Amino acid sequence: MYSFLRLSVLLVGLVVSAGSYAVKAAQPLTTADDLGPNVEQPFEFPHDRHAGDAADGGMEINCMYCHTYARRSIVAGIPPVQKCIGCHQNIESVREAPRIKKLFEYWDAKKAIPWKKVHDLPDFVRFNHERHIQRFVFAQGKPVQEACGYCHGDVKKMTVARRQKPLSMGWCRSCHMKDHRIDATSTKTSQGPNDCWQCHK
Amino acid sequence: MSITNLLENWSDFRHQHPSEDRPHLEYKWAMSIDLDSCTGCNACSVACYAENNLPVVGKEKFAHGHSHHWMRIERYWDNDGREFADQGAQFLPMLCQHCESAPCETVCPVGATNHTADGLNSQVYNRCVGSRYCNANCPYKVRYFNWYDYPTTDNVWPAPMEQQLNPDVTVRGKGVMEKCTFCVQRLTVAKSDARTQGRLVLDGEVQTACQQVCPTGAITFGNLVDPLAKVGKQWMQQQVDLNKDKQAKDAAEEAVKLRGYRILEELRTYPSVMYLEQLRESDI
Amino acid sequence: MARSQDKDFQEVSAMIENGFNRRNFLKVLGWGGATVALSGCGNTSVEDGREFVTSYAETADYIIPSIGTYFNSTCAQCDAGCGIMGRVREGRVLKLEGNPESPINNGKMCGLGQAGVQAHYNPDRIREPLLRNGDRGEAITWEKALELINEKVGSVNPENVAFLTGVVSGHVKALLNNYLDALGSGHHYVYEAVAPSVVRASNKKAYGVEMPRLSLDKAKVIVSFGADFLGAWVSPVHFSQQYARFRKPDNGERGVLVQVESKMTLTGANADRWLAIRPGTEGILALGLINSLAAAGLPVSEDVAAAVGEYTSDRVSKDTGVSAEHIGKLAALLKERSPSLVIAGSAAEGYAHGSQNAAAIALLNQVLGNVGQTVEAPSSVPFPQMAPSTGNSFALQSLSDDMAQDKVKVLFSYGANPVFTAPAFFKLKENLKKVPFKVVFAHYMDETAVEADLVLPLNSALEDWATLMPEYIAEGAQLNIRQPLMEKMYPGTLGVGDILLAMLKQRRPDEYNDYEDFYSYLRSAMVSNKDALGGADEDDDTFWETALSHGVVKLVGEPVDMTGSMSAAALVVPAPFAEDATYPLHLIPAVSASMRDGRNANEPWLQESPDPLTTIVWDSWVEMHPKTAAKLGIVEGDIVEVASKSGAIKAQAYLFPGIHPDVVSVPLGYGHEAMGRYAKGVGANAFSILDPVFDNETGELAMHETRVKVTKAGQRVIIVKDEGPAGGSQMGRRIALRIPSNKVNLSEEV
Repeated sequence: MYSFLRLSVLLVGLVVSAGSYAVKAAQPLTTADDLGPNVEQPFEFPHDRHAGDAADGGMEINCMYCHTYARRSIVAGIPPVQKCIGCHQNIESVREAPRIKKLFEYWDAKKAIPWKKVHDLPDFVRFNHERHIQRFVFAQGKPVQEACGYCHGDVKKMTVARRQKPLSMGWCRSCHMKDHRIDATSTKTSQGPNDCWQCHK
Repeated sequence: MSITNLLENWSDFRHQHPSEDRPHLEYKWAMSIDLDSCTGCNACSVACYAENNLPVVGKEKFAHGHSHHWMRIERYWDNDGREFADQGAQFLPMLCQHCESAPCETVCPVGATNHTADGLNSQVYNRCVGSRYCNANCPYKVRYFNWYDYPTTDNVWPAPMEQQLNPDVTVRGKGVMEKCTFCVQRLTVAKSDARTQGRLVLDGEVQTACQQVCPTGAITFGNLVDPLAKVGKQWMQQQVDLNKDKQAKDAAEEAVKLRGYRILEELRTYPSVMYLEQLRESDI
Repeated sequence: MARSQDKDFQEVSAMIENGFNRRNFLKVLGWGGATVALSGCGNTSVEDGREFVTSYAETADYIIPSIGTYFNSTCAQCDAGCGIMGRVREGRVLKLEGNPESPINNGKMCGLGQAGVQAHYNPDRIREPLLRNGDRGEAITWEKALELINEKVGSVNPENVAFLTGVVSGHVKALLNNYLDALGSGHHYVYEAVAPSVVRASNKKAYGVEMPRLSLDKAKVIVSFGADFLGAWVSPVHFSQQYARFRKPDNGERGVLVQVESKMTLTGANADRWLAIRPGTEGILALGLINSLAAAGLPVSEDVAAAVGEYTSDRVSKDTGVSAEHIGKLAALLKERSPSLVIAGSAAEGYAHGSQNAAAIALLNQVLGNVGQTVEAPSSVPFPQMAPSTGNSFALQSLSDDMAQDKVKVLFSYGANPVFTAPAFFKLKENLKKVPFKVVFAHYMDETAVEADLVLPLNSALEDWATLMPEYIAEGAQLNIRQPLMEKMYPGTLGVGDILLAMLKQRRPDEYNDYEDFYSYLRSAMVSNKDALGGADEDDDTFWETALSHGVVKLVGEPVDMTGSMSAAALVVPAPFAEDATYPLHLIPAVSASMRDGRNANEPWLQESPDPLTTIVWDSWVEMHPKTAAKLGIVEGDIVEVASKSGAIKAQAYLFPGIHPDVVSVPLGYGHEAMGRYAKGVGANAFSILDPVFDNETGELAMHETRVKVTKAGQRVIIVKDEGPAGGSQMGRRIALRIPSNKVNLSEEV
């Protein structure tokens, strides 16, 4: 009886593991796209209007104009209300629009806007924006929107940001395992870190 | 972890002398502690609590041996049966030695503890399942297990004390092992800043919390690969070789000795912390 | 062994009989486990839309999320006045480092200082003013509280208004003095529970200054008579840095430390030679050393030679318990290696003849020629009205007597916890009850706040404005700045400066109404004096911002004249103690670096930080020599009662090789009955049982003169400590190594 028990547990286990392995093999991790849920924000900020192409009515504002810290900090940062007001105090044409009115309400009360975090990695992960921007934008010379888009998708087609990629460790690793040129002109390449402690804190 | 990966990289998973075969290229973090300068004040221990979100466990759990002092000061007496400890005490700051051949790394069933490229012994909290085999194997007993869920335990971080927690360090939950990290959160920031400027970290640019606070400056920390780093110069002057389990200078009995040594070196752990022997005046 | 008829047992035995033993069980599990482990799971832990992002309305350029900004301020955990540098992220202070620009600590800190964040974020802080209603404290507004103060102060004779404070300096002191001035009278009692007051007085006599500048790093030999300069004495971080250079000077000639005391302190644990001395006989040893030095040829004046003539090596050895051999070696060392430094610590503070001990020790310094070399004139303080008012126990005695005689109608207490630190014989609590209106400025509901009529909650040091001058002047005179490292935690607390300013507005509205708050007063006072503060070439804003950015303003003072006499004429060091059959042992209440006088007992890091010498945590203890314990039949962990004429306490016994057999020691700072969740009920209060014995010259409480008897209380506990069952033994392993100094060549080291 007990040898039957052993055998059945073994078979079940093997099937399950083979199955999961097969499942993984069917979906290559490198290009998996995983749409995050719609996150409700205090008001709908239109990325398309601000960052979008001129042809689509956008203003082609560089991502890093607002998300300033991406090149020098681990977080890209959300701009303080001050930054929005910097432009909007001079744009009479939209001053009475409902979302702009909401914006000015926060400014007049000097209250920070309670934006919800859309791309939120677990607390035991440390993602460093600076290193990625330094490599792709500054060293390789990629356009900012392309570099940001690797992980955030085509933000200029969205209003409120929505997660476009799985952001799982396997997905990060799939890119880290590729060879990336160390700068625009060099043929030398390097891979992203493989070391647990580079990303886990 | 796939079987192919395991088989291909087996030789990487266990290496007798990782440094000899593949020397560290840019960084090898190491420390030296001068036991003659150390006064046993415990400032390093408290600073470590502050920097790394260490939980205060309270009297009962302390009695069970569940304290979390990643950096602890051990106090020894050397009376030899004399009536008084008339040559004072011996204080020993003990922390994870970041062994190059760490006995803890080989026994983790899930691979939560590994060796980083810059010579640290890493502990990945989210991978740890709490077998506690690593602590059983550690000869220095510098690994600490979260027997309880301290973030939800009363009086560990009662509001508003949780505001003091360092966001750069994970707050550990129940069931994971933890230990000194050589303040890896500071090292990572320093390396990243240096990288952005196209250079390596300079000596003194990054300090561990214990080193920064020590009032006598007994702790020296730095990059052994950097020829300008003080710690490397100390190791060289003391003739302590990272990759040997027995130092040549100890072979013969000398009139004038060098006081650098590593603890339990003979166990072939190849620790990255060198201690300088305490001195006592011969004329008194 | 009876066979159980238990059902479980039957089942198990059936399983075993059928071959399903533990080995098979594990085998089955193992197969299952192994296969599942290979599969893994596919989900991620990405958290979508659950948390908020760090968001600002308006922010300064230098605020970058996730990168800390550092602000300089001054530590408040003890009175040394070290500079701190707070790491501030997202609007809150996370950790303190030392301020590299402060000449006191040069970027270093002690564990006590690190715990400053726990004082700031402490859950037991008082959050709003409380007015007594029967047994309870009811929350009231600041307006009401200040109104009440105005009313009460206005209704009594200013003679009957008293302020009890700890050490005060800087602009807070200036405001306090102005308030007393505005009252026309009023008394200010400056109290320190543990203070080097006898040493101050004796220094003044011997050197002309209360706190000369000591240069440990210039000395080749340091002989410390109980001064715990590495632990808790005066300015430990500063002295520790000097000590590091003393041990490893550039020329490689390592300094020698000899510690003479009856109970080992942290400094004693670092000594090359620790000499256990009979309590109270330190002065005799000092004179004996002068005698030996003179005999060895060191030139001494005639009157000194005459005074020390009878203190021969044999006599001194008999009186002190220090062997003639060690006396000889020490004298030889002092003669050979110059300059040296001799420091008086607990030898002075502890005894009725403490001043005499200190005088003898100062004489030794003078005879050795150390004055002007390692004992030097400190810089003067260019703003004497801001110089620190130092405290002593005599002040509390006077206050207690005044209260007993109904001379105090309104009492303000700030920076002290006298109900906890006053010995029982002061009858302080009783006398306090005679004061009709007591206002206590406090962070916690400590023992004194519990007795108050009105409790005023203070800002923590990390959210406060102040300037401070340390008593011990490290390099040159300096004015330390304290600035907030973040917004106040609670809207209901105020800084002591703000409270005093509000009270001053009640008395002198014309002068002070222009100042909106203490900050504007402070800024205005500093800026209007910027010429003298090194800002002559700068405009107001630049000067102020530079001062804040550095955290310390260096002042230019003149070196003070070191006068003082080297005379042995009045030196009378009494013979050693007589035996007392009822109270055979001496109690030495120990001052540890973290606990001190108990002001920081509610900071859990400090309770959990093992005492360096005993490694005990979260409790007090009674330290005794193994010989003493054997005589009394006591083993480690026995709860013992330590009883003096003035009271009794109970604590766990701990055997310790660093204490004189006639002495037991209990650490101070434990035994709180209030104050907070981490302090309350932990340990026993050694202050309470001190005997009424006072220094003959200064009237200071002689802390080591308490005689006790120790008896077993009948219970035994397992002591909670960090050292393992091997105690301090390395069990033959080479873990912490030690080597004689003549086997090492330090000058070759990096």
